Amino acid sequence: MVRYLNGTFRSSERRLILLAALVLLPVFFLPVLPIWEMHLRAPQYPEGLTLTIYTNTIRGDLAKINSLNHYVGMKAITPADFDEFAYLPQLLTGFGVLALLAALFNRRWLAVLGWVLFTAFAAYMFRDYALWLYRYGHELDPRAAIKMDAFMPPIIGYAKMANFHVLSLPGPGTYILGAAWLLGPLALWLERRARRRAPTAAATPAA
Amino acid sequence: MKRWIAVAAFLASLIGSAALMQGCGSVRGGTAAAKTYVKPGEHDTYYAFLSGGHSGQVLVYGIPSCRHITTIPVFTPEPAKGYGYDEESKAMLKGMTWGDAHHPGLSETDGDYDGRWLFINDMPHARIARIDLKDFTTREIFGPIPNISAAHACPFPTPNTEYVFAASRFSIPIPYPTVGEAKNYARDFKGVIAGVKVSPEGHMSLGFEILMPPFDWDLADAGKGPSHGWEFFTCYNSEMAYDSLEIKASQNEMDYLAAVNWREAQKAADAGHGRLIGGVKVLDPKEEKGIVYLIPVPKSPHGIDVDPSGQYLCVAGKLQAEVTVHSFEKMIATIRAGKFQGEIDGIPVLAYKDVLEAKVPVGLGPLHTQFDGKGYAYTSLFLDSQIAKWKIGPPWSVTDEIDVYYSIGHLMASEGDTRHPTGDYVVALDKLAKDRYLPVGPSYPEASQLIDIRGPKMELLYDFPTYPEPHYAQMIRAEKLKPMKIYPLDENHNPRAVKSADQARVERHGRRVDAYLLAIRTHFTPDVVRVAQGDTVYFHVTNLEQDADITHGFGITFSNCNMQVDPGETKTIRWVAEKAGVTPFYCSNFCSALHQEMQGYIEVMPSGTKLASVARPSPERLAEVAALLRR
Repeated sequence: MVRYLNGTFRSSERRLILLAALVLLPVFFLPVLPIWEMHLRAPQYPEGLTLTIYTNTIRGDLAKINSLNHYVGMKAITPADFDEFAYLPQLLTGFGVLALLAALFNRRWLAVLGWVLFTAFAAYMFRDYALWLYRYGHELDPRAAIKMDAFMPPIIGYAKMANFHVLSLPGPGTYILGAAWLLGPLALWLERRARRRAPTAAATPAA
Repeated sequence: MKRWIAVAAFLASLIGSAALMQGCGSVRGGTAAAKTYVKPGEHDTYYAFLSGGHSGQVLVYGIPSCRHITTIPVFTPEPAKGYGYDEESKAMLKGMTWGDAHHPGLSETDGDYDGRWLFINDMPHARIARIDLKDFTTREIFGPIPNISAAHACPFPTPNTEYVFAASRFSIPIPYPTVGEAKNYARDFKGVIAGVKVSPEGHMSLGFEILMPPFDWDLADAGKGPSHGWEFFTCYNSEMAYDSLEIKASQNEMDYLAAVNWREAQKAADAGHGRLIGGVKVLDPKEEKGIVYLIPVPKSPHGIDVDPSGQYLCVAGKLQAEVTVHSFEKMIATIRAGKFQGEIDGIPVLAYKDVLEAKVPVGLGPLHTQFDGKGYAYTSLFLDSQIAKWKIGPPWSVTDEIDVYYSIGHLMASEGDTRHPTGDYVVALDKLAKDRYLPVGPSYPEASQLIDIRGPKMELLYDFPTYPEPHYAQMIRAEKLKPMKIYPLDENHNPRAVKSADQARVERHGRRVDAYLLAIRTHFTPDVVRVAQGDTVYFHVTNLEQDADITHGFGITFSNCNMQVDPGETKTIRWVAEKAGVTPFYCSNFCSALHQEMQGYIEVMPSGTKLASVARPSPERLAEVAALLRR
């Protein structure tokens, strides 16, 4: 195991890890790709309403959605409420730096560490997102004009909420991050396959 | 078995051909209906702006569905939109409660509609209004224009909207009011033509005025292409009758077309020439040469319409069954040669024969002409109740006619007075409806017909009534307009705007009270306003909504106060606390599920009650609003 972790990559796998780094690194500077998107449609909103979540903010029809939500006593959605936006881009860039280091120093353990941390981080953020949705759907003002049972907005997929059809889907940002995440196992797998095919070369310690 | 099949086939073919024959009878109606059909949820391809005549409004229709979409109040207070009730629109109307809106004029760039503004005249009060097509709202009313009496030949913008024009239809001794006697008409009464400059932002200001003989200046059109720089005006009553005009003003064989060189006129005005009348400088053609010419046209003409090439000046005969087509090229050549048959009040008169290009025998009572951009002109025939289609160019003859119902005045073709008419539709704007619609008593609506002009023959598609009374109308391709959906709050720089509950307040300045209210689904803040008897209260209401179509009304019971505040907008209305007592106010425009709850009270305390100079909503109220909105 230790020997495995101390191993190195071939140049083709290093390139894959470098690619992952290139995807992750600029996130801090360019939080432009939506991470998650929520589409709401109701009879009187034929063009639909959209909430778009980025790594550092929420955009879209916030004011309109908040205006409607106040009838049922839902807490207003304001970007300032999310501490996550203060560290999310920086953390993602951090993972990029890890991947970069793994590729530059050609250390398998660095790549594995980075990938494991990134996986844990993604799982944590997903749970965090679900928690936020839970809070919005459950912490309803008891004085609201329209009394509504607590509800869970869809984390992913479709749900009907009052007069709204809601579709919640990952955005392009998540797809790209997911692809970067997949590059980790892919690099390891490619490297492993190559090692099996040429066992002598792989057994030699790193140059 | 085979026989059965044969019999069945025979029967089927019989039924089929019967159905086909049945179909033949309804094909015309069916295909015509299909051409006006706009699927539910889909949009028309044209906006049509119909003048509202003495309703003082502009009616907006979608073509080809002929659906009435909205009404733009212009010269008339209109409670549905709260126009003429809030302080800003009241200031534009200056106390006037009617106007007679005749001729919409869409702004142009290079002789084509550009979709920025719509100008329209108020004939009796010599005013011109500008409607912004970003929000379909009247934004400026210019006038009464000094010295202009009854601006009928108005506004007819120039190809780059450099100018709109106005000319006196009912000449009077100027300036208004000047004491005089009608029997001294020829000596004391004066016609005037005004060139009104339009700034790049759309603001109107007087450019120049020209003293004209007291004929009845009737209609106008701007030159385009080669004739850009000229504005043309028709007149009747060159007899200068002041009574029994129907007889006395119909005696001369020729009346006139006036051609105004507006660049030259502006140069003279800029040089400070002219006589001061009614507070403005008026150019006198006796002293000022080269600014205006007269060209004879037969028999009390009505409309002047310049063809898309800008080469032909088409003057409808009204009392002569012809359209007289004068050539701009010949006009210029004659002027250059200095070949005039005489002079009227210092204005050189060209000879009819020198300028004439063609006479087109169109039918009885020709009034107005529009174009299709494919080499044809369409002239409305009042007496024949028809539209005649004729070829521009030899043999200058009618190629098609269509009946309309009844007594057509103006007609509008799709972008039909521009350099590039689209040639899709003509709408007949009729003066009489008679039996066309379900009867509604002795006061009739007006009638209009939509006609397809895409083929060689005109085809009647649809017949629809309009509220009185469209005169001229214009049609613009829908994609040229990009109206706003809301007013962005961050662009609301109205000093009376309040954008959060903690700014909402009631301020006292002596007997004047300024109440700064905000409106958002579904409350006003503050919703209890305390004043004293005798106070004049200005309610400044800001609609904080940024959602389309969520307009809030502000109506005060037992009063003449009702305004409509669109999302992101701030409006002010004045209310006098005449009596002590409690008066409710409410949202008068259904806005949401809790619209009924959107109300408040004005507490009017007895005169002399001591009241705070500034009253703000209580901290509890602010907390409540904040909890509602988190703003």
